Amino acid sequence: MTDTAREEILARINEALGRRGGGEYVSSNPRSTTSAPGVAGPEATAADAGYHHEGTHTGEDLVELLIDRLVDYKANVHRASGDPAGTIAELISDHSSIVVPRGLESAWPAGFSGEVNVDAPGEELSVDELDAQGAVVTASAVAIAQTGTIVLDGSAECGRRAITLVPDHHVCVVRVRDIVDIVPEGIARLDANAALTFISGPSATSDIELSRVEGVHGPRTLDVVILSE
Amino acid sequence: MTFLGMPLLRSKHAHSDLPGGQGNIVETEAFPEVSHEHLSNQQLRNNIGHATSTIRSKRAEVVSELDDWEKLRNAGEATKNEVMANLPEYLAQFEEAFTATGGIIHWARDADEANAIVTELIEDNAPVLETGRREVIKVKSMATQEIGLNEHLETQGIDAFETDLAELIVQLGEDKPSHILVPAIHRNRDEIRDIFMKTMPDAGQLTNEPAVLAEAARKHLRHKFLTTKVAISGANFGIAETGTLGVVESEGNGRMCLTLPETLITVMGIEKLLPRFADLEVFLQLLPRSSTGERMNPYTSFWTGRTEGDGPQNVHLVLLDNGRTRALADEHGRTALNCIRCSACMNVCPVYERTGGHAYGSTYPGPIGAILSPLLTGVEDEANGTLPYASSLCGACYDVCPVKINIPEILVHLRAEDVEANHSPVSTQLDAALTGASWMMGDGKRMTAVEKGLPLAHKATRGKQIDALPGIAGAWTSSRDIPALPEKSFRQQWADEEAQRSGTGAQTGDEEGQR
Ligand code: SF4
Repeated sequence: MTDTAREEILARINEALGRRGGGEYVSSNPRSTTSAPGVAGPEATAADAGYHHEGTHTGEDLVELLIDRLVDYKANVHRASGDPAGTIAELISDHSSIVVPRGLESAWPAGFSGEVNVDAPGEELSVDELDAQGAVVTASAVAIAQTGTIVLDGSAECGRRAITLVPDHHVCVVRVRDIVDIVPEGIARLDANAALTFISGPSATSDIELSRVEGVHGPRTLDVVILSE
Repeated sequence: MTFLGMPLLRSKHAHSDLPGGQGNIVETEAFPEVSHEHLSNQQLRNNIGHATSTIRSKRAEVVSELDDWEKLRNAGEATKNEVMANLPEYLAQFEEAFTATGGIIHWARDADEANAIVTELIEDNAPVLETGRREVIKVKSMATQEIGLNEHLETQGIDAFETDLAELIVQLGEDKPSHILVPAIHRNRDEIRDIFMKTMPDAGQLTNEPAVLAEAARKHLRHKFLTTKVAISGANFGIAETGTLGVVESEGNGRMCLTLPETLITVMGIEKLLPRFADLEVFLQLLPRSSTGERMNPYTSFWTGRTEGDGPQNVHLVLLDNGRTRALADEHGRTALNCIRCSACMNVCPVYERTGGHAYGSTYPGPIGAILSPLLTGVEDEANGTLPYASSLCGACYDVCPVKINIPEILVHLRAEDVEANHSPVSTQLDAALTGASWMMGDGKRMTAVEKGLPLAHKATRGKQIDALPGIAGAWTSSRDIPALPEKSFRQQWADEEAQRSGTGAQTGDEEGQR
């Protein structure tokens, strides 16, 4: 059924575009090309219309911009240099157990006196177990200052998506070297094949008379620890 | 003279034989009639007015932060035009990449076919519960609303739970969405409390505080998120180059649905593709700022087929035509398919602000709905024949559209099509009036010329209210008075009001600045 549908829809598109014949479209090696065969490459299209690809903020200005935007989105921001263990321990001290991804620096949650559960491939915590955790502590892949956005990429130190979703409190470490200024710089650093989660502040809704309420289904508290080397 | 029941004039249009879409994109009552009902609903008007003006000013503020906004819009427009011109290639490329990572693609010619595919997938993957029914959770999606999926599933013994707070309010209130971004905006907090207390068995006593109501929704859905086996979503973007799908949201209900269930079924229109992953650098700037007026929405998720050990391991995508190829065949209208559903156009539309979304009788309300619905269905069977008239052609929608869809121009084009297809060649008063209006409104200079005559006409009628008109306009004046002719044109007044609201002084939209 669906095979016929596929051919018919492609034929309809060809007819709609006024192309004769149409036929089968097979591309090869899509992952290494930037556009489909027969389609002009990105340089040749009008897609790049001269908008900014690089930001202007650097150094402390860049960090300040990120902090400003994170606070605007109701995230709590903390700074640490070298070893964030003390800052992290303070943030999670009220909980009795937390979850961390397998690849997280083991020193980071070391100051915590409660139970530390490690979520690892083959030894994943069940959803109910995740639901019982007070907090999750992760690293991050990229942070975009202009929009106050932190990106998790499913790597060993960011963890699989469920662990930063189910617990109600997320403590996320952002390394200063991973901060970029604007969205294009952030996208350029990411791998499309990873499962990506962009986070800008904690979960929020404005569905009731447009008044903003933080925390509906995702974590209600987002603590960001900005870590300089 | 007709040919096979079709008006002769249709043969002028090269591709009109492509099948139109079905489902919730057909107005069941004519716009003028329904809008009349809604005009008298004061609460709806107040709520919509408050919402649109709030979002409008937030949008203006965050857009003004970017000095390359116009360049981003140009890039957005060019990218979507590139997609439409090469759609078969990009679809094939997307299919190959998505399939290579373990995703499964299904193609659906129309709403019925898409509903049948989704039903079958659910029957294969969601268990029958003690109630004898199956359950699925859903992320807010225009595509599934368009095909009437929830209603179809219900007849198949499947309950589909909306998890977006606004969609939940609409669903529990047995109501219809009135805005694509904030679907329950026509409800106030007291009504929402009453709906929750009536329909959530364990809600208990609730106050009308938004935080309390959001918490009730959280509790209500939590168990479902953690236990339901199958989820259904739409997608904001599909990346041809990599086979990646993306969903943009706020509450985390999207992340719940996209991450926790075993099976994920996504329904996406064939027009939603972007060529390259890098194109997200443009669209992730255009969409949130145009939509909610935020620099970035709280959560955005991307997945490419199946990710080993992370999220659903059974991943399906239904690619939907349902009239899109028909719209694509319309050379003057095809850019409507570039729409990224940000809802900016409805927030600036004076007609939408006064009627609300229900009046459009379609999943797609506001200015974009007025062109998209008729393009998807075709106007010749009068299905959506009145929608292209649901506009003042003031042009505000074009100015805010992040992908620069020229909505007013398409409206005029569709009006002409409707007149050709549905009204007899021997002109009725309406036909004559509409043809005249199309001619006048189709060109900014003519429009300005006519507007310049307004102050004169105002003097001629001595500013008196006009309460009866002969002929076709009588139907209109029998239910309301036409106000006195204004001293200033609508477009000029609107520009003045906007300027005052944003405190930028009385800069009018017209270069001539007629005062
Ligand atoms: S037509 Fe443009 S402004 Fe309207 S919803 Fe679509 S993208 Fe947004």
